[in-house]
Amino acid sequence: MPVAAEWGACMHLAISLNIAATDGQTILDFGQISSVVGQAEAAGVDMVVFSDSSDGPSSSPFEATTLLAALATVTDRIGLVAGASTLAHQPYNLARRFASLDIISHGRIGWNATLAQNLREAANFSRPEGFSDDDFRRRAQEFIGIVQGLWQGWDADALLFDQKAGRFHDPDKMHLLDHKGEFFSVRGPLNVARSPQDAPVLVMSDLAEADLDFASRAADVILIEEQSAEAAEATCAELKRRALAAGRKPAALTALLTVAMGSKPDAARLRTLLGLNGCDGLTLALPADVAALENFADRVLPELRRHGIAGQGQQGAMLRAHLGLGGAK
Amino acid sequence: MSPRQMKLGLFLWATGHHIAAWRHPKAHVTAGIDIDHYIQLARTAEAAKFDMIFCEDAAGLREANVNIASQTSRSIGFEPISLLSALAAQTERIGLVSTASTSYNEPYGLARTFASLDNLSGGRAGWNLVTSASPIEAANFGATGLRPHADRYARAREFATVIAGLWNRRAAGHDGESFSVRDPLDIPPSPQGAPVMVQAGASDDGKDLAARTADVVFSAAQTFEDAKAFYDDLKGRLAAYGRQPDDVKIMPGVAPVVAATEAEARAKHDELQELIPDDVGVALLSSYLSISDLGRYPIDGPLPELPESEGMKSRQALVVEQARRDGLSIRGLARYFAGARGHWRLVGTPTQIADELQARFEGGAADGFNVMPSWFPGELDAFATLVVPELQRRGLFRKDYEGRTLRAHLGLKRPF
Repeated sequence: MPVAAEWGACMHLAISLNIAATDGQTILDFGQISSVVGQAEAAGVDMVVFSDSSDGPSSSPFEATTLLAALATVTDRIGLVAGASTLAHQPYNLARRFASLDIISHGRIGWNATLAQNLREAANFSRPEGFSDDDFRRRAQEFIGIVQGLWQGWDADALLFDQKAGRFHDPDKMHLLDHKGEFFSVRGPLNVARSPQDAPVLVMSDLAEADLDFASRAADVILIEEQSAEAAEATCAELKRRALAAGRKPAALTALLTVAMGSKPDAARLRTLLGLNGCDGLTLALPADVAALENFADRVLPELRRHGIAGQGQQGAMLRAHLGLGGAK
Repeated sequence: MSPRQMKLGLFLWATGHHIAAWRHPKAHVTAGIDIDHYIQLARTAEAAKFDMIFCEDAAGLREANVNIASQTSRSIGFEPISLLSALAAQTERIGLVSTASTSYNEPYGLARTFASLDNLSGGRAGWNLVTSASPIEAANFGATGLRPHADRYARAREFATVIAGLWNRRAAGHDGESFSVRDPLDIPPSPQGAPVMVQAGASDDGKDLAARTADVVFSAAQTFEDAKAFYDDLKGRLAAYGRQPDDVKIMPGVAPVVAATEAEARAKHDELQELIPDDVGVALLSSYLSISDLGRYPIDGPLPELPESEGMKSRQALVVEQARRDGLSIRGLARYFAGARGHWRLVGTPTQIADELQARFEGGAADGFNVMPSWFPGELDAFATLVVPELQRRGLFRKDYEGRTLRAHLGLKRPF
């Protein structure tokens, strides 16, 4: 029996890193970020989630998907997840970026589709009036469906590489999407090969009540906002119930409870949370603060490693394997 | 003052620029899914002191006919901004330039992405502006089809103005025909201030936009006269925008096939030409001419009269002129074109190739060249080990980097 059982068997562990510094916060450079990610990888953390924008004025040297590409070349096992908004991207471009990242990282990428409308983004992306909540929700769902469809455009055995016969790929194994919807029209296919892990992991966060059915049906991972252990247990049970109702196995959906890590992280509190909540694991939200990050890396990660609490990554190098997920829907 | 030296870009393209490159026995056939292949190419180019590597891009397949497409390696590959961001972490000096479309992006998003690449690389990023002429791409971004040339350029002009304003930290706020942007950029400037702006459009609209906003211009020219005419035309447009001739570097494409002897170089070239299936060559030519049915004309007959297209106006003129001048059949032109896609092809010894490059550089037809190896890694290795040392020996190319940013390599001023 692994030591992990002490703290809660098969718990998944993610960290989320807010790289957008607001006034008075330190701007993290690439060395500082890759150092924290490297230590999390050594401790067996399943994945690190980067947010990409905030509602208010903030500053970071990096946009999240470009940061992920650079980090992919200096890490080997840890999953890398970036937030990218449905307001700031076109579905074809976003699907392509993440598909490409997944090949660069050898199957360790996830897309965090935030389901809340960011009005600051709307104002900077030629949508000064934004969308009504209803329109935004329908548009986001259509967007996410297109991205998932584009990720399935090439069969796993489509590439032949047959130099002698002059057949690079099998045209019957490349599929048009031909999507014509309320907000988008996308023909496809993607001009990036299929993901090594079948498809990048689809993460969703910032869910409203009205998003729960969709998220339970479509997401691989749902990040649940911080709440009491009792409330989290109820939320996770509800998500799994809806996943089941949508015809999925509850294990196909990984629900992670967010826990904010202050500047003085408390390993004992973590132990309690890991034991008590009814979720599949935790996302530890780290502040964009060098001292707090060092504290976390020096005190919490070794503790996690000692107790074998993180380390599901041993199951395989790809993110879907870390999380015990099957192939994409 | 040190003598003027030429700028060199390495134009990356998976297995190589030749349409049949992927069939070469020593080509890296899985290039489009192998990041280590690209890291190796970037390091070769950096060791040879190239100014930059450059990635072309299209947000869609390059060939509509699925049977033709399946005989080429061009339907899959890395998305270039993620590719270059990965290469940024694996290189130290070389510039990293990617194409991105003004038709299928928003300026605030692209400003952020390239500013981030610029920071990841310590000031080595560049953006090649394209307006995207392909109906295949258009179908991935809405049902309305390809917009007319003039509309695309109107949007591109506004896009370039907005993105330059964001990068150069000018007063925020833009409310225009195509875009509205409220806030300043939320990403701080890199050591080179702002990404380098590159363009390649050779139509009248394209040249005017380049004269107004570009730091580097890529071009395609077969003959010295064509190259010189383009160079003089573009540099002549700068004064109207308050710019000096040296503010823009003009770098025509060149597709070299180099070997120790001329016979060996010719043999290498012929080997690749033989690997082009006729239907693939004709389809590629049709695509660049922006017509869909070249296959219905006799393959050994002349090129038919063509209507002017809404796609690549300037490229079309170049190809048609080439065929008329050399009296080529469709098959002949298709094969010729497939080798370098309308760019300048040089087959010969290191001395012959250096002579030709020197003549255009010193004759006022180029500030440098965008090098397009026919297949990777072989022809890049050959250029790096045979031609680059010859250029260095003649004092025409740097022996080491003078600076750390792309602007420093190119001798460009910081924008602010």
